[in-house]
Amino acid sequence: MKDIVVNFTLNGRQCKKLVPANKTLLRFLREDMYINSVKEGCNEGECGACTVLLDGHPVNSCLVLAAELEGKTVLTVEGLTDDDRLHPIQEAFIEAGAVQCGYCTPGMIMSAVACLNLYGHPTREQIRKEMEGNICRCTGYTRIADAILLSVEKMDAIVAEQGADVAFRGIDKNFVEKWNASYEVK
Amino acid sequence: MSDYKLTPCEKYQAEGREWDRLVVKRKDTTGEETVIGHTQVRKDGVEKVTGTAVYGADINFPGQLYGVCARSPHAHARILSINTDKAKALPGVVTVITGADYPEPYGQFIADQPIIALDKVRYQGEPVAAIAAETEEIARAAAELVEVEYELLPVVNDLEESMKNETLIHEDWSKYECSSACFPVQGTNIGDHFHLCKGDVEKGFEEADLIVESEFRCGQLQHTLIETHTATAAANPYTKELQVWTPNQSPFSIRALMGKIYGVSNEKVRLTMTHIGGGFGGKYEAKCEPIALALSLKCGGRHVKLTYDRHEEFSATVCRSTVQYYMKTGVKKDGTIVANQIKGYWDAGAYVTTNPRVDYNAGFAANGPYEVPNVKIDTYVYMTNRTLGTAYRGFGVTEASTLHEHQMDIIARKLDMDPLELRLKNCLHDGSIGVTGEIISTCAVDECLRAAAANIGWDKLPKRWVDEEGNLCGKGIACFNKLTGTPSTTSCIVKMNENGSIYILSASREMGQGVTTTMPQFAAESLKIDLDKVSVSPVDTHQTPYDKTTTSSRSTFHSGNAILQACEDIKKQLCHLAAIKWKCADEDVVYTAEGNIQHKTDADKCININNVGKSGIMHEQDPVIAIGRYGTSDIFDAPPVDGRQSKRPTVMWMIGAQAAIVKVNPVTGRVKVTKIGAAHDIGKAINPTGCLQQIEGSVVMGLGHAIMEEMIYEDGNLRNGNMVDYKVPTFMDSDIEIKSTLVENGHPEGPFGVKGIGEPGLVPTAACIANAICHACNTDFKSLPIKPEHILFREEAND
Repeated sequence: MKDIVVNFTLNGRQCKKLVPANKTLLRFLREDMYINSVKEGCNEGECGACTVLLDGHPVNSCLVLAAELEGKTVLTVEGLTDDDRLHPIQEAFIEAGAVQCGYCTPGMIMSAVACLNLYGHPTREQIRKEMEGNICRCTGYTRIADAILLSVEKMDAIVAEQGADVAFRGIDKNFVEKWNASYEVK
Repeated sequence: MSDYKLTPCEKYQAEGREWDRLVVKRKDTTGEETVIGHTQVRKDGVEKVTGTAVYGADINFPGQLYGVCARSPHAHARILSINTDKAKALPGVVTVITGADYPEPYGQFIADQPIIALDKVRYQGEPVAAIAAETEEIARAAAELVEVEYELLPVVNDLEESMKNETLIHEDWSKYECSSACFPVQGTNIGDHFHLCKGDVEKGFEEADLIVESEFRCGQLQHTLIETHTATAAANPYTKELQVWTPNQSPFSIRALMGKIYGVSNEKVRLTMTHIGGGFGGKYEAKCEPIALALSLKCGGRHVKLTYDRHEEFSATVCRSTVQYYMKTGVKKDGTIVANQIKGYWDAGAYVTTNPRVDYNAGFAANGPYEVPNVKIDTYVYMTNRTLGTAYRGFGVTEASTLHEHQMDIIARKLDMDPLELRLKNCLHDGSIGVTGEIISTCAVDECLRAAAANIGWDKLPKRWVDEEGNLCGKGIACFNKLTGTPSTTSCIVKMNENGSIYILSASREMGQGVTTTMPQFAAESLKIDLDKVSVSPVDTHQTPYDKTTTSSRSTFHSGNAILQACEDIKKQLCHLAAIKWKCADEDVVYTAEGNIQHKTDADKCININNVGKSGIMHEQDPVIAIGRYGTSDIFDAPPVDGRQSKRPTVMWMIGAQAAIVKVNPVTGRVKVTKIGAAHDIGKAINPTGCLQQIEGSVVMGLGHAIMEEMIYEDGNLRNGNMVDYKVPTFMDSDIEIKSTLVENGHPEGPFGVKGIGEPGLVPTAACIANAICHACNTDFKSLPIKPEHILFREEAND
């Protein structure tokens, strides 16, 4: 199998790697980049346990080839923590009781980040719709929605305290604007 | 970690609003405790949200090999020959093994299953060879090169075919080593039989004013754990020391099984446990472990990692068996039930595995939590060419509950009674005579039924109605009683570190249910030590003391007792060390309820438990380490096989009820569950959010069982063995209003009165949803799941 050189950004770090053309992003992240948070559940895009953000968009990394990474940015749960401080979304998942066995959790959290980039203050209905691709067998989902709502409150409180310039990893207030702009006819 | 502290958020799920607590009876608690009874932040939370928790597939060793199984495409066939030459010749392949390499069959109840098929395959996907290679791709390619010559045999596709006994899956049961708890019938496909007899059902039926007969079937389900089965093994072929890293629920029973299969004594087998990405009974049995070990033994002890993909998970691991039940009830005009006769037939799949235990647990529960003077229950485990049935959250009791609760609703309709009233009239109370002749105690069925009903506003709702959008609406209720596996034992080591913090060594496995938080809560409450100072050590059979299994909702009950016992010893040891320091007699030092090591007469001599590390009393003294044990052999009255009558068949009956409101769209056949009211007797809520999580998660899982999930077979071929075609509930199905009541009816033998809640949340869910759909549609649906096609082509009840 042909190997391809890819330059990409993983959790804020510039990377250059040689990857087999047929290797999935899921296996590449786990086996070559030692990103263990990305879990294999079904390898066919149904369970969402391997969700990562690719240029801000949630993707099932089992359905993406690592060879497509050239010039792209990948974000996983490992990239959310700021030194040893948890991201408000991570805190909220623990505090709202959204974690049980924990296997779906990293993928859930990445989909939650994507959901918050689409809707800064999502409704429960919007959360259910956006998070539909992530399966959880333990929690019954409601506490995960609680966690997302709680994380919004936490971030709002921090903004109120520290000002609008404060940044949260993975959260891009202009995401929708940028996304729409990318479709504009030039 | 950081200096900031996480605190539980009760904003969205507050007591009094989203859930409530009903204290029936307290045991060893005042309600004033500071640690137990309060929601605590999960101790395994941080590692799980940061992706640092290590699960089965996260285990990797330099130079490890990858295992893959070559599997049978046929459901039932004789193996005429196997040729592995081509597979072995593929560069990168290190070894290829077949059933002949390790022919010793295994099984928890009857040793009917080879590690790799020997002379015959009995289900589609059964391993016929296993390969270890340098990469997974090479191993998979080699699996394709294994040549097997099969002689096809007639496929026993379902129960009905199996019951004809024309084609036998196992020709000769007598060849297998069989335990005293399994009852196969020679010359048939019956792998086990359960018989319970109380009173005289024929006499009961004669006394009855009305006889009601019904049938009910529960479809075959897959656990659909998000983490598939996996194991990494290193087996030294010379010293015969075997080690496996695995996400398994039952380290010690797997250890014994591995020792038996490979002819080594238990102490040479080491199971090192990882986090479990979903258990629910699916990781109770040995699946990857024996094959990974066999491969490692043939590779000079190199590490071999064997991980099943999702398709293998569906076709070749374990599932929940189909069951077909028949029930006949004799009832008086006033609703008093005088006799119940139940027959049940389990489709256990190709090997017996743990089905005798499913059969046993469901057998004791099939009559329901009702006082009935005459009961006869006969259930049979039948073998088919399907994937293997096993434990699934509730061990058969979930299915039994759908049966008796379906029957109760039919009886209520025929007597024109309210379904709740009929249940309250017949349910067990303290002092009732249970199905085994036992005098029932700590029984809150009545309270649970009333609370569950109140949580959906039962009294204000008609049995069925049509809403403004034309949906057929209905309400349903269901209750249950489930035993916990008895006798069983557990043990723990509680050791104090030099700095005064505490480790608990216990083999109760964390699989999301929260034992790594509840176990420390017991120690923290007993010693009055800060909860932050108590943690649970990783589980490893070389270090962790014995615990039977993490099943049957037994962990908090059993481990809690063991930990409390050990903590009493810790207190004594600390008082002794303080006495040495203070140069006084041991009797002069007491451990106070506030957690102070206190000199009886000298008030200045006082060390708080949270300062014990700095106090110097442990310096160069005997280490503080204690053992706790708890077992139920002494209270157990073994139910004899000739009718299973027993004064104490289990240490703990778990009890609960749920009620549901559903909306059925008569045009599309789609069902929407709008509200679930739950009430479970948990004895004492140690970590209330933990209890609620079990119930809420169960409700959504039970919704899947009621209206979505089913493994579909055609001629032994699984037609929906993937997550695209086998639908489990998603976020979009979670829009259910759940109101729970935690009923606290302290159990005399439970630590602080605790009972189990791991399985109970699921047991009545599918039953109450099914009953609500039956009411909404005025139809007796006779099987689960109830899918849109069943609703569209329904026949309304008319009696």
